[in-house]
Amino acid sequence: MVKITINGNTYEAQAGQMLIDVADAAGIEIPRFCYHKKLSVSANCRMCLVDVEKAPKPLPACATPVMDGMVVQTRSEKAQQAQKAVMEFLLINHPLDCPICDQGGECELQDVAMGYGQDSSRFKELKRIVPDKNLGPLISTEMTRCIHCTRCVRFGTEVAGIREMGATGRGENTRIGTYIERAVESELSGNMIDVCPVGALTSKAFRFHGRAWEMQQYPSIAPHDGLGSNIYMHVRRNKVLRVVPRENEAINEVWLSDRDRFSYEALESSERLLHPMIKRNGKWQETNWETALNYAIEGLKNIIATYNADAMGALASPAATLEELYLLQKLVRGLDCSNIDHRLHQIDFSDQNDAPLYPYLGQRIEELEKSDAVLLIGTNLRKEQPLLNHRLRKAALKNTGMINEEISANIMLINPVDYEFNLPIAEKIIAAPSKIVSELASVAKALISLTGKNISDEITDLLADVSTNSIHEAMAKLLNEGEYKTILVGRLASTHPEFSKIRALAAWIGKITEAKLGYLAEAGNSVGASLTGVLPHQGIAGHKVENEGKNAFEMLTKEHALKAYLLLGIEAEIDSYAGSNALSVLEEAKFVVCLNSYKTKQMQQYANVILPISLYPETSGTYVNCEGVWQTSHGVIPPPENVRPAWKVLRILGNLFDLDEFNYDSSQEIQDDIHKKTVNVSLPNNLQDWKMPESINIAISNEGSRELEKIIEMPMYAIDSMVRRATSLQNTQDITQAASLYVSSRQLKDINITSSDGTSLDTQMPIMGDERVPDGCILYYAAQKDGFFSIWNESFKFCSSSYHVE
Amino acid sequence: MATAQDILSASILAEIDKYIAKYPAGRKQSAVMPALTLVQDHNGGWLTTQLMDAIADYLDMPPIAVYEVASFYSMYELKPVGKYKVCVCTNVSCMLCGSDEIVAHLEKRLGIKLGGTTSDNKFTLKEVECLAACGNAPMFQIGRDYHENLTPEKVDQILDGLE
Amino acid sequence: MSMFSYLKSLSLLELLKGLRVTGEHLFKPKFTVQYPDEKTPLSSRFRGHHALRRYSNGEERCIACKLCEAVCPALAITIEAEPREDGSRRTILYDIDMYKCIFCGFCEEACPVDAIVETRRFEYHGENRGDLIMSKEKLLAIGDELESQIAVDRAKEAQYR
Repeated sequence: MVKITINGNTYEAQAGQMLIDVADAAGIEIPRFCYHKKLSVSANCRMCLVDVEKAPKPLPACATPVMDGMVVQTRSEKAQQAQKAVMEFLLINHPLDCPICDQGGECELQDVAMGYGQDSSRFKELKRIVPDKNLGPLISTEMTRCIHCTRCVRFGTEVAGIREMGATGRGENTRIGTYIERAVESELSGNMIDVCPVGALTSKAFRFHGRAWEMQQYPSIAPHDGLGSNIYMHVRRNKVLRVVPRENEAINEVWLSDRDRFSYEALESSERLLHPMIKRNGKWQETNWETALNYAIEGLKNIIATYNADAMGALASPAATLEELYLLQKLVRGLDCSNIDHRLHQIDFSDQNDAPLYPYLGQRIEELEKSDAVLLIGTNLRKEQPLLNHRLRKAALKNTGMINEEISANIMLINPVDYEFNLPIAEKIIAAPSKIVSELASVAKALISLTGKNISDEITDLLADVSTNSIHEAMAKLLNEGEYKTILVGRLASTHPEFSKIRALAAWIGKITEAKLGYLAEAGNSVGASLTGVLPHQGIAGHKVENEGKNAFEMLTKEHALKAYLLLGIEAEIDSYAGSNALSVLEEAKFVVCLNSYKTKQMQQYANVILPISLYPETSGTYVNCEGVWQTSHGVIPPPENVRPAWKVLRILGNLFDLDEFNYDSSQEIQDDIHKKTVNVSLPNNLQDWKMPESINIAISNEGSRELEKIIEMPMYAIDSMVRRATSLQNTQDITQAASLYVSSRQLKDINITSSDGTSLDTQMPIMGDERVPDGCILYYAAQKDGFFSIWNESFKFCSSSYHVE
Repeated sequence: MATAQDILSASILAEIDKYIAKYPAGRKQSAVMPALTLVQDHNGGWLTTQLMDAIADYLDMPPIAVYEVASFYSMYELKPVGKYKVCVCTNVSCMLCGSDEIVAHLEKRLGIKLGGTTSDNKFTLKEVECLAACGNAPMFQIGRDYHENLTPEKVDQILDGLE
Repeated sequence: MSMFSYLKSLSLLELLKGLRVTGEHLFKPKFTVQYPDEKTPLSSRFRGHHALRRYSNGEERCIACKLCEAVCPALAITIEAEPREDGSRRTILYDIDMYKCIFCGFCEEACPVDAIVETRRFEYHGENRGDLIMSKEKLLAIGDELESQIAVDRAKEAQYR
């Protein structure tokens, strides 16, 4: 600790800390543009010049480390003179277009110019004009306003991992841009809008729509990934105009993914359902709530009376709130039915009784940064959980000079597709989905032979036939050497047909290496849904149920089809891996009740009642994130027209069924109830909760077979109903590329698509060669709105006329 | 994307390697300026985006970092130039000693403005910042040579010598 | 009351004094303006009904900066904006509620492009509920109608602004 004096007061500071940090902590204002606490110091705006005793010239506070006995004046004549001079230089080329600038009213340059600028300009020459850049569908640019602080360049390099922007030229000719025409695509690009201190980079969706002073700011929680990023919604006249991050070091730091930032556009979608609708005599009609609810109750009661309660099933979106999910399971279980699930993307449920209570990350989000050896299994982490990826990126880049720390993490991955990562990968295995299990087994085997540890004889027997190669051994070595090890299991693993084996193998590797094993919760409330018992085999807090119900995949396949369905917030044909099978199953069902915020063509084909429910900014509710933290948000705008929060709808449904204890008056009461029932639940132990597999198949050779293995990916901007209707996000490259099928370039020539009876089908989708896809596989994107394929469609086969691998 | 080996000749790469060897291991990027100079000299005095990409690839740098360097320094050219590049200093010392007159004379004699190239592609006239020869201002640089204490007559003499 | 003043009051002197004033005014020039047949001259700073102006090429001046909306003490102005087809910043809604307006002139002063102005027009009325909520179209029409006078007034005041 050192002692320094600022403006006559003494402060304690860490040696090596920058002056500006000490001043900020002490609440002393120093003007700045290029300094940002999450980015490296570049000291190129010179706005933070302060007067340091014994220094001949004013020094930049952002790049001056404190030293013992330093005496600093931030408002002395020398400092003020320097600050005023810099301000004058910065304003020379800045246009006077504040009235039409979206940043006007919340602009750092405006604020600082008020304090340090002069009344009028002495600059009589012409100002420079800079042509705008095309930075994609999310960010609009006015480069003439740029003051060359390089925050966006440093953000791109240090956080987003895209070194495409730079400052070319010099002096007055300096330009921020990409030099050659190219789009800047990043899942975190929206943060450039926040870091830009002026109006050079602004939000395209928000463009000209509002002013900083006319909006109210309300805190909320974003439900589109397992993180539960903290956000502020900016609202004017009951309309959400934009979403910005709310700082929370433990969760999203100061960042926000584009998905969470721009999904609000879906609130105004033309597909929004505004009144309850019922289908009478094959015709849809809008009606009032009373009629619709009675119609729904009657229909469900009929099914229960004709068959039994088990002829009914409920499916819920894992992005619904905790309260909604709890009431749904309470309703369904109250009717003596166990067919309820939220795991819409899972196929292998064989170990569900041995699995962890909920998909727990295995550690705090912050702790990911401590990792020095990480194994990623089946995940396109950048797209699935952009901000978790950022934590890992920080861990991996510690030693590159970008972030000054001693150690840096070795990131390893086993993936079915060679996804692009923005962090250095130490070792990687890209294998067809059918080979993922055996590759993982090889790593486990390599670890056992490396360490000599024996978890159990049974496992040793299972791994007897597994062979290893140098990559497996290298992975084993790095995993074993690490001090803080992490294994993360992602979406492509949890949707794998042998997920239970992957779970077991990951746990073994975790046990041998003493690593933290974590699951990447897919949606904002995947954890909450499991916790409240939206599961066929477990009630709230993991209580076992007597009659295990059908899981999500079964419910939507022909053999197990039910008579009635209750769907909460999902478009089953898109949101479930049962895909187009779901469509035919639901169409054949006798009675389908949809609680949804949107109406679709498909929904009108299969549903009997559609009840309009509010989206997340319109209702209060709780989300439990991947580290098990409960976060409650309150409604920030009222639901439009006849739309009601889902918890209220479910509560009334419960009342109409005459179920006990359904008289909740607020979502807080429901939350208290849930809290009481789950207070004794401890964090799951991911290393212990798994099921011993019967066998580990060593890679089955599919040579000679002409059928291609399917790899199904959810495009990051199609993961739930809301994101799918956010217009800006739908124009990004992530969505446009989803309109094609991808095979390895070598197999491109001879692909055809056949139906299950072998007849060839004509697809509207182009088939493209892609180096990232392993031989013998085809990558396609699910959740296409009017796509030719739905997810996991068994009836389509992809074949190559001749299978050949050179 | 084409690699450095596809675009740059083996002899240039060997030259660049010499510069890389001057810096500590793992600090290849330090050789970016000599590499740009070498490649520019072999390409008739200017750099194409493709050449800069090749250098970026060879030195393990992001291409934009090479563009930044090449666009910052006035000795790198991003557009074709004439055979002789006349770099006239117009910074303070030279200006005080009469660089305006030199520039006017050059413009008149060559029939081009600052930044222009003669139609026969022989001369390019360029305004540069201080080249550290203030002691003998005014001055200009042609190729690697400094010409100092310039007068219009001396300029004519020098240019005649080149033609 | 003294005897003297009692006697004085009987002389009706006050009455005569008053009649003298009346008599004087009877023959002096008259100041009363016979409104509406006659009208008073108006200052070029007069703050009457609002108008939205255009540039001489017909382009509307308003750029939707919303400063008038922010400064309006009566909250009479409502603006919605979005990018026009050519990418420029324009209003899609510009309402002034003349029922609320207190004619303070702040909007005019806040406007960076002299788009919203207060004209010399003060004789207006509405016949139906809501008639005095002025839309963008109405305000632009008034601007077009009165532009010549508005321009003269602004030019005259320019040196003081």
